[in-house]
Amino acid sequence: MSDDKPHAAGNIDAGDTSERVGMAVLRERGLDPEELREKLLDAIGAEFTTYYYYTNLRMHLAGHEDYKEITEDARLEDRAHFELVAPRVYELGGSLPNDIRDFADRASCPDAEMPVPYETEGFELDELTAESILEVLLEAERCAIRTWSEICDMTQGVDPRTYDMAQRILQEEVEHEAWFVELLSMERDGEINPAGHFVRGEPGDAPLSTNRRFNDSA
Amino acid sequence: MTEPATWTVELRVPDEADLDAAGESRTLEVREDQSILAAARSAGIWLSADCQQGWCITCAAKLLEGEVDHSNAKRYYPSDDEAGFVLTCVGQPRSDLVLEVEQYDELLRHRAEHDKPPGRSKLG
Ligand code: FES
Ligand SMILES: [Fe+2]
Ligand SMILES: [Fe+2]
Repeated sequence: MSDDKPHAAGNIDAGDTSERVGMAVLRERGLDPEELREKLLDAIGAEFTTYYYYTNLRMHLAGHEDYKEITEDARLEDRAHFELVAPRVYELGGSLPNDIRDFADRASCPDAEMPVPYETEGFELDELTAESILEVLLEAERCAIRTWSEICDMTQGVDPRTYDMAQRILQEEVEHEAWFVELLSMERDGEINPAGHFVRGEPGDAPLSTNRRFNDSA
Repeated sequence: MTEPATWTVELRVPDEADLDAAGESRTLEVREDQSILAAARSAGIWLSADCQQGWCITCAAKLLEGEVDHSNAKRYYPSDDEAGFVLTCVGQPRSDLVLEVEQYDELLRHRAEHDKPPGRSKLG
């Protein structure tokens, strides 16, 4: 029996709904639930903005139907990542910001903007190449890998529920990076650099991270 | 081809930092084409970071002496520069440096005071 891990959260009175044992147990194990919650909000802010920006990037891959399909998978899976973790924010006593601008501002990864200037007439499409879009996509995936790895580090051995979510997302982000490494290698350098993956079951399948598939309650 | 210049960078780690080197100072050599974070991590000093693209400010530090190039940062404001904040994940040395590392909370507050993200949305 270890003294620093008292399982009975007996300091919360029976029937008290102002506190959560689900948070107290994290504190008892040395993880600050508020700090984790803020980090999760930043991370799902990035999933949400990425979902938006990928919509725009994908549309501008006109004529590269294969790239569009892959980008569609990555795009929809980012929405799945947002939806997987949003309930966890509430369980940890938080909520989504009221103003979507606040949510985007605090996203832990950069806006995956179109890689050409936007003028009054719209995007400067003459300067746009598939290569430059693939580069934006690749760097966005790399940021996501770093974020979810950080969250895995924070929660490993302390918060199995968040860890389970983060590791599922991380696995898909690693796949996304591999897809864009493959596509960019060929598009830019004429190099064969296989991702080594099989096709998703349906577009944006999110095989590991779709909420309803393993977590009907959320 | 000339070799990239190398600068001497002193990292002062605050007492309360969650790092092995807390309360100590470490000195390393950083090439001008290398980020301070990458050099520190390869020297075994695991400074905090997240995006590594000069956006999230997890890697913030305070510049005590020297000059840092931030041209690779995705989000770095003139007000950050004026107050001497550095994003170590993209910051490259342009002189010998002395930095106080692990300054996320400080930069977050500074951003909030200047109505800049993510401070304004997280503390605002
Ligand atoms: S790690 Fe995100 S700004 Fe440096
Ligand atoms: Fe994602
Ligand atoms: Fe992704």
